[in-house]
Amino acid sequence: MSLFINIQEGEDQLPEVTSDKGRLLWISSVDHKQLGIMYLWLALFFFIIGGLEAMLIRAQLAVGDNDLISPEFYNQLFTMHGTTMIFLVLMPALIGLATYLIPLMIGANEMAFPRLNAFSFWMTCLGGFLMYFSFFAGGAPDAGWFNYAPLSESNYSSTQGVDYYLVGLILTGMGSIGAGLNFVTTILTLRSPDIKLNMLPLFAWMIFINGFLILAAFPLLNAGLFMMLIDRQFDAHFFIPSSGGSAILWQHFFWSFGHPEVYILALPAFGIISEVIPVFSRNKIFGYKFVAASTVAIALLAFGVWVHHMFAVGMTNTVNGFFAASSMLIGIPTGVKVINWIGTLYKGSIRMTVSMMFAVAFLIDFTIGGLSGASFAIVPIDWQLTDTYYVVAHIHYVFLGGTAFGIFAGIYYWFPKISGRFLSEKLGKWHLWLFVIGFNFTFLVQHVLGILGMPRRIYTYPSRFGSWEIFNMISTLGAVMMFVAIAVFLWNLFITLKKPRTAPKNPWEAWTLEWATNSPPDLKNFEEVPRVHSRRPLWDLANPDNPDKRLN
Amino acid sequence: MIAVLPFYSTQVLEYTNFLYWSFAVVAAIILGLVIFFTYRYTTKYKAKSPTDQPQSGSVSHKFEVFALITASLITVFFMFFTVQSMKEIQTIPDDPKPDIIITGHQWWWEAEYPNSKVITSNEVHIPAGKKVLLALNSADVIHSWWVPELGRKIDMIPGMTNYMWMYAEKPGEYLGTCSEFCGMQHARMRIRVIADDEANFKKWQEEQLEPVITEGSALFEKGRNLFEQKTCTNCHAINGTSYNENIGPNLTHFASRKRFLGDFKEVNATNLRAWLHDPQKVKEGAKMPNFILSDQELNALVEYIIHLK
Repeated sequence: MSLFINIQEGEDQLPEVTSDKGRLLWISSVDHKQLGIMYLWLALFFFIIGGLEAMLIRAQLAVGDNDLISPEFYNQLFTMHGTTMIFLVLMPALIGLATYLIPLMIGANEMAFPRLNAFSFWMTCLGGFLMYFSFFAGGAPDAGWFNYAPLSESNYSSTQGVDYYLVGLILTGMGSIGAGLNFVTTILTLRSPDIKLNMLPLFAWMIFINGFLILAAFPLLNAGLFMMLIDRQFDAHFFIPSSGGSAILWQHFFWSFGHPEVYILALPAFGIISEVIPVFSRNKIFGYKFVAASTVAIALLAFGVWVHHMFAVGMTNTVNGFFAASSMLIGIPTGVKVINWIGTLYKGSIRMTVSMMFAVAFLIDFTIGGLSGASFAIVPIDWQLTDTYYVVAHIHYVFLGGTAFGIFAGIYYWFPKISGRFLSEKLGKWHLWLFVIGFNFTFLVQHVLGILGMPRRIYTYPSRFGSWEIFNMISTLGAVMMFVAIAVFLWNLFITLKKPRTAPKNPWEAWTLEWATNSPPDLKNFEEVPRVHSRRPLWDLANPDNPDKRLN
Repeated sequence: MIAVLPFYSTQVLEYTNFLYWSFAVVAAIILGLVIFFTYRYTTKYKAKSPTDQPQSGSVSHKFEVFALITASLITVFFMFFTVQSMKEIQTIPDDPKPDIIITGHQWWWEAEYPNSKVITSNEVHIPAGKKVLLALNSADVIHSWWVPELGRKIDMIPGMTNYMWMYAEKPGEYLGTCSEFCGMQHARMRIRVIADDEANFKKWQEEQLEPVITEGSALFEKGRNLFEQKTCTNCHAINGTSYNENIGPNLTHFASRKRFLGDFKEVNATNLRAWLHDPQKVKEGAKMPNFILSDQELNALVEYIIHLK
């Protein structure tokens, strides 16, 4: 039996490509690697913008009764900060990594629908820029990223901002749906014939499940967005109570998308962590089956918990009790995953690279975010703390301490594969420590602010509340540290991209198929794919006398 | 300033206190274990050389099962007390007769006492030592009522009436805030609840029911006329007169309140004058128009309104 097999090209031939250089080629590209890289650049671009918005917000809140920023502009800032970070940073960063890596991980040369892949990217890109165009068209959206009716309806928000929000998100939503469809189809149909579903790398497994989540959740959002657009443009009354609509209906649409969205942003990060920790611990993942199966449990439960965003709207105790129970349940598979990752460290031989350090920081900060999240399932606690800074702290521990740390771990891990160059570990450690310390300074104290009674989304607070001022100042100083950390990261990127390509095929001695290709991979990923018999094909190739247990 | 935990009134919120503390303990234990093991494993099993390979070992899978069972037991515990305390906090009679009806407006509060027919705004008086049933709704967008020390938080939604219990153990002033983003001045829509002992509460109600002051100095008279001429009456009600629009706050006993504009400014002649002179400068976005009043007109109007005790 040969060590390699040839994979057949599809019948439907793609346009002839003769070179992988040139700008026009990037714009017209349907190559999953180029699209993945463009997704990552897009995410980085909007990350800088969203970060600057956050800095303005923190500057305004540093002291009480501050009039640095007008209330009108502040409301636009926090709306755009939230919308940007979720839809234009985390989504494209995760989809970008997945677009780049999924075909490589499953031994394929392309995604199932290359043109749809390009369409998805350009829709996301167009939606993002369209939303930002609102700043030049009379004012950005100012009703929050959650855009609650009737505040977002035309009688209370008379600028065009919310219209740009609606159309922008409809477009990025279409892009995400295309990407979700592509991931599911690619993983189902284009796996190298050897790879059974239970042999998928965990990142690929999480993206697979995530694809289903996207396909089920985003249409809910887009339906709601269209209804509100019809309200605003054609005077319908879906969400306008004074003429017979329902303000609560919007919240149901939004959160029945919004809560799965939390997991859409969390699962790929779980996937990254499940790749990074085993490789740098030199250990197999502890409990592959549990990590994979619990992901399915999370995906299903994710659609039955949305009302915990709405415990304060005044629904009956029966409804609230049901959603309290489901919200507590979803904490269990998520929590046990943390045990799997820590268990992977046990008796390993841990290599503390920057990537691994981000993964370790993820373990602790994501646990904090998970615990504060679980406290919202306890309805009476939610009745006190919802819509306070406690929630602001929570969401940032999940999305920044969780997802973004995961993305950084992934960036440092796959950078040699994607660009053929190593990011500086020394600058990386500066980035890591400044960012992690700054992050905890910024958001840990916000839990306390919430408990002290500070509501979210306020552009200022009375300066006579001394303790609010102290905690807010600490928070702002932490944000400055994060700002510096990102500057270090950008500098690191800048100097690294000028270096020659020196990375070998498999610098981290990893085990999954993407590391069998060149760094960066050739335009055609694999001329031939190694045979796969276990979850760690490259381990088997490197250790023929001590292979993993055969699974096919 | 709101004190540190536990700060909640008993009777309405003792369960919340209990849940707070038990959750804090459980969360601290879990977080402590995660930090401890992460730290211990990453230091103990750190690679000694770059090529070091592991001794190869793995945690027993029984541990996963153990963790699942422990987590489930914790869940059952919290679920039991969640249901129990929801019943305790939020049991509303089938045919609720609210003591106070509170309506949220962009960006102030209207309070109506159906039993005594008192109508006031922004400062809500309640009797201490007695559970008070609130009915809450909104005149425009979604607001949310939250006075942390006195009860739960509940949204005020246009087209819908919500009910909740509020309880102050001792007389005093309690601060709260609108907790649902409601537009430009969401930050300056704060709540001040004044809990009086029974005698004072009764006295306050009687004072509020007294007819409006109609006579005063010449300046006062001029101010009263201006109040009509400048169409103030199109939005503001004054009980005992024919002005009964309630688009803006009811001003019958305006000067008996300590603060105005959603607990933003102290009630005094200077602040009132600044407000009447240019509302947008004081509270940008407020619905009150600028009437471009001359200095004399301002003096007269301030003289009139500041005497509405």
